[in-house]
Amino acid sequence: MSELADDAPLVLAVPSKGRLQENANAFFARAGLLVVQGRGVRDYRGALTGVAGVEVAFISASEITQQLAAGAVHLGVTGEDLVRESVPGADLKMEFLTPLGFGHANVVVAVPQAWIDVKTMTDLEDVAAAYRAKRGERMRVATKYVNLTRRFFAERGVTDYRIVESLGATEGAPAADQAELIVDITTTGTTLRANGLKALEDGVILRSEANLVASLTARWSETQRASARSILSRIAAEEEARTNREVRAMVEGDRDALAREAGELFGARALFAATGEGQLTLICAQSQTAALADWLLEHGAGHVAVGALDYLFTARNALYEKLARRWEQAAPVG
Amino acid sequence: MVDGVSQMMDEAERREALLAHLVEAGYVRLEPPILQPASVFLDQSGEDIRGRLYLTSDAGGRDFCLRPEYTIPVFRDHLASARAGEPAAYSYLGPVFRFRDHGAGEFVQAGLESFGRTDREAADAEILTLALEAAEAAADRSFEVRTGDAGLFLRLLDALALPEAWARRVRRGHAQGLDLDAMLAVRSDGGFEHAGVLAALENVDRREARALVEDLLAIAGIASVGGRSAAEIAERFLEQASMKGEAAIGHEQREALRRFLEVDGDPDAASAALRALASEAGLDLDAALDSFDARLNFIAARGLDLTRLSFSSRFGRRLDYYTGFVFEVLAPGQAERLIVSGGRYDGLSRALGAAQDIPAVGAAIWCERLFAGAERDGEPS
Repeated sequence: MSELADDAPLVLAVPSKGRLQENANAFFARAGLLVVQGRGVRDYRGALTGVAGVEVAFISASEITQQLAAGAVHLGVTGEDLVRESVPGADLKMEFLTPLGFGHANVVVAVPQAWIDVKTMTDLEDVAAAYRAKRGERMRVATKYVNLTRRFFAERGVTDYRIVESLGATEGAPAADQAELIVDITTTGTTLRANGLKALEDGVILRSEANLVASLTARWSETQRASARSILSRIAAEEEARTNREVRAMVEGDRDALAREAGELFGARALFAATGEGQLTLICAQSQTAALADWLLEHGAGHVAVGALDYLFTARNALYEKLARRWEQAAPVG
Repeated sequence: MVDGVSQMMDEAERREALLAHLVEAGYVRLEPPILQPASVFLDQSGEDIRGRLYLTSDAGGRDFCLRPEYTIPVFRDHLASARAGEPAAYSYLGPVFRFRDHGAGEFVQAGLESFGRTDREAADAEILTLALEAAEAAADRSFEVRTGDAGLFLRLLDALALPEAWARRVRRGHAQGLDLDAMLAVRSDGGFEHAGVLAALENVDRREARALVEDLLAIAGIASVGGRSAAEIAERFLEQASMKGEAAIGHEQREALRRFLEVDGDPDAASAALRALASEAGLDLDAALDSFDARLNFIAARGLDLTRLSFSSRFGRRLDYYTGFVFEVLAPGQAERLIVSGGRYDGLSRALGAAQDIPAVGAAIWCERLFAGAERDGEPS
């Protein structure tokens, strides 16, 4: 693809179908960003309500990975498994901004359940060597994750195997005598069990989930950066709001001193700077709120109100800063 | 630009001189096809090599690759020729192709192969000295030589009569460059918690125990899954269980291994140290050590000063490929840049489909590294 022009919109790639698309849309909607598709079903371009200068591209997850690597899109939703498998040197070409909490799946090494003597990669290495010594052939591993498999097996010292590329129904390969074992993606392990397979204890190659990923090879104009900042600050605001609670209380002591102490003890932050007695409003991680409330009661508060937040915008946007740091490292940027 | 061109001309001339040296010594030049069936290399070198092969396929879906090295193509041409059963000596010079993260994927290799000679020690000595002479003459500088002996290590493992599972583990540990303690460490990953079955089988004869486990698998409706038979699975299940309880490996065996792996340095002194070790430990390594000494004598007789050689018992790790003498030639102070690597691989002929083992020894010379100064990047072998 050709380079994106300076006045061109920021391109956000989202999965074009299925569960992944629904989840991605829900994720953006939570952050107040609605993905709107063009009118026709065949329209593969859309927009994001609320943020100007953004074009949404609907493409398949594997295509998103390729386009991020090539710099043809700026931001995209894709699985880490796809990135690690198909993009060599991925960390130089893209930045994983935030996991999205869906699309969970592990890439695992699985062997027949009947192999009661094989539980670990060390066992597998031993069995593979013996297999080759006895038969003069290498054990076959069916997978579509050729690169992940090769890297993982090399790290674990397993060398006596051959990969049989499989493009679908990998879990059926051992029963069909097309392979001795497999490397495949699994969410619950049900499919593996149904096919008489078991994952090795230390055979998890990758714990993957859907991620919001930024391309570092794309050209980022000033307006595109500004659009990215808006999108990321909304996502961060929603995330902050979801994981934090607002805690309010009337206190008698000095609010500034109490806030500082609450910060040390519970990681709480004061929402407004204030001294002397009065209403203290703190932001605190959800897991710490009960303890913080107890502590405030001990310090003379009559009531402590805890509330959920819709959005929490902060001047420092961790997601955007992550991306900005990579631009700085990669400078000069054209 | 003119400099670049004249440098290339110069290098081409030097390569030809290198090849001429080998041809004059009776090594007939072979030029096997650049396009090779990929499966041969995948079978021999495993998946490690796949990531570095330039792969393609024909209309029928068969996989081909650009040759990543010469030994296998030369050996295959030899086996397919009318002279397959006879001793033969070949040389080669040309491009090989391996994908690299940085740098060009095409580089020039020269080399020599000797097939079918049963006077192995003399053939080993000839390959080493000839490769070294040719390389030093062509580059007009002198190099260092490191040697090892994979056959000696394999013989030691036989003589120690380790239980099969331990022998496998030591071989693999050696191949991975682990130190002895790591090789012999008892696993603590809690692999075997089937204490009930194992306790019941404790005092049962090995064969009966195996039959019982096989029956259990059969009751569970398991015959042969994933290419391994129930008998194999039962055998290894019991073997692994037995490795848990007992002291991993005898003290004397452990000491013999440790002393063996410490032998390092001057080859004559190494030979003496290995003989002393063998006699004290009551291990019969005589034949292997006689062969070791004979090889040194042949090398000396060909005019190579033995003090230029160093020996290490830890060198020669690829035991699935090399079966005997192994050596490396490198520029002083540049341990990571092999200029020549070679050795004996008597098992390769069978792996390539020949009916019997054909003695084979050879060496490959990396021309870019040979002629380049220290500044150029080379691929680690």
